[in-house]
Amino acid sequence: MSFFSVTDLTAGYGGKPVIDRISFELEAGCLLGLLGANGSGKTTLLKSICGILPHRGSCVLEGSVLEQLSPRELAGRCSYVPQRSGISIDLSVLDVVLMGFNPRLGLLEYPSGDMKERARKALARVGLGGREEENYLHLSEGQKQLCILARTLASEGRLLLLDEPESALDFRYRYQMLDLLRGWVREEKRAVLAALHDPSLALNYCDRLLLLADGKVLAVLKPGTDALNKMEEELGVLYGRVSLQRCRDKSGREQLVMLKEPETE
Amino acid sequence: MDLPTVKTKSFCAAGAALMIALAAASLFVGKYPLSIEGLLKGDPMQLRVFWTLRASRTIVGIAGGFALGVAGFVYQTVFRNPLASPDVIGVSSGASAGAAAGILFLSGAAAVTASAFAGALAAVGLALALSSLDRAGKNSTIVLAGIAVHSLAQTALMCLKLTADPERELASIEYWIMGSLNGISGYSIGGNIALCILCLILLFLLHRQIILLSAEEGEARMLGVHVGRLRLAVLLIATLTVSCIVSLSGLISFVGLLAPHGARLLTKRNSAGTMLLGGLLGSILLTGADILARSAASTELPVSIFTSLLGAPFLIFLIIRGRQRT
Repeated sequence: MSFFSVTDLTAGYGGKPVIDRISFELEAGCLLGLLGANGSGKTTLLKSICGILPHRGSCVLEGSVLEQLSPRELAGRCSYVPQRSGISIDLSVLDVVLMGFNPRLGLLEYPSGDMKERARKALARVGLGGREEENYLHLSEGQKQLCILARTLASEGRLLLLDEPESALDFRYRYQMLDLLRGWVREEKRAVLAALHDPSLALNYCDRLLLLADGKVLAVLKPGTDALNKMEEELGVLYGRVSLQRCRDKSGREQLVMLKEPETE
Repeated sequence: MDLPTVKTKSFCAAGAALMIALAAASLFVGKYPLSIEGLLKGDPMQLRVFWTLRASRTIVGIAGGFALGVAGFVYQTVFRNPLASPDVIGVSSGASAGAAAGILFLSGAAAVTASAFAGALAAVGLALALSSLDRAGKNSTIVLAGIAVHSLAQTALMCLKLTADPERELASIEYWIMGSLNGISGYSIGGNIALCILCLILLFLLHRQIILLSAEEGEARMLGVHVGRLRLAVLLIATLTVSCIVSLSGLISFVGLLAPHGARLLTKRNSAGTMLLGGLLGSILLTGADILARSAASTELPVSIFTSLLGAPFLIFLIIRGRQRT
């Protein structure tokens, strides 16, 4: 039995389907990237999995059918990081991270000292150590993303869903965030499903890539093992003509570089 | 301890001191002069005025202002709207229609209070029942349901006013709508104040959940919040708190809007301390306004005149101060 499976997931807005019978599986320790053009259904897929959007089909995580769980049970197993957080009132950075412990707290219960300590550690891990008492609304968009990621890490869910988490981050923090996610997913039995904006980042950090086009799965790529020409062909459907190169950085790590080619010879 | 927490605690301590000072002043200001010596000597008239009129009026001023401030904080946080107030779901108009019905068809101040309370509860019940027809339980649905209930209650109020005797009943209805702590006696406040305190305790216990409701609906759900149910429960408790007060005092403008704003501008946070400070500012505003209402002119004036007169410049001052700091 796979760690997480999605079967025939169909969802949309106003009766019009945006994703149509999507199915895939995810193993523990896997970072799965979602790539697709704008409107291809990446956000719809993530929102459907975490129950924000009504849908048909089923999602099973470690034997539990997500559709049958209460919001509290679902939040205990599965975390979602939206493109932008909807927090719009003055709260400290620490308070925002502590929200992640809600599924483990009773209705009238407040976070313990241990939870506060874990929240501080999660903030330090994403590079926001020492900023616990700052106003969340005064952070830059990228720092807000990191804060929400810290909230997710602290909550210790099994499946993490991220919607373009790198979109507001600068070059350095993009790589730092993906490094962090790759380490986190392998620490324990966990999995990450991340819609990513930047294909180069996805090619270098994800174990597998799910290519979406018009609400359907176009292809599944394994950047570590698949042949370059096969990946170029599949990625070309999304981005037009592209070429992939394997090269090494100064430390000897192999990286995949995607270049845009002119559409006509 | 971090700076915002220290600041919040300092403001709460200062607010509590000012509230106690105003409460003490409220006990001794009024048409019938009271003195500490007279009360200590056991002057029966002074003791009677003190226990039946001044003490109860002061309690309603303090508890009422506190309740309006805390409820305003809850509404503004849950609706993520700085202009939200109990009026959003029609509680004030429901209470007005109930009070008008009480004035026309029942006799005695206690009956009018009970009728206003029933009107407020009916409005809240109807607004929340209508909004629950939308399973998603969106904020906008609750607001729309509140607008519909507000319109219905206003129509009922107009019809009641048309049937009222212009000399006596219509004047009473208008005076009630303007709001006043005049005429509140110790015999009629017990039940309302007890229920109000119970609701306030529940709101403070639910503070963490109220803050979670301030997140976008999908995000709150992914944090394990049963958004629809929790929001209905929190709004019902906050509205009950307000209903307990407006059914005693009539409509009191500005306190529920201003007090939480003031607390947020001072503390720059939305902690439980901010909610407490919102309540304290509400108490200060309502008690201060009530002292002026009974001492500024030879006749008792509606308290809302002074809550607005005190509140508007204070809000402007806080906005300017906040902008200068940023």
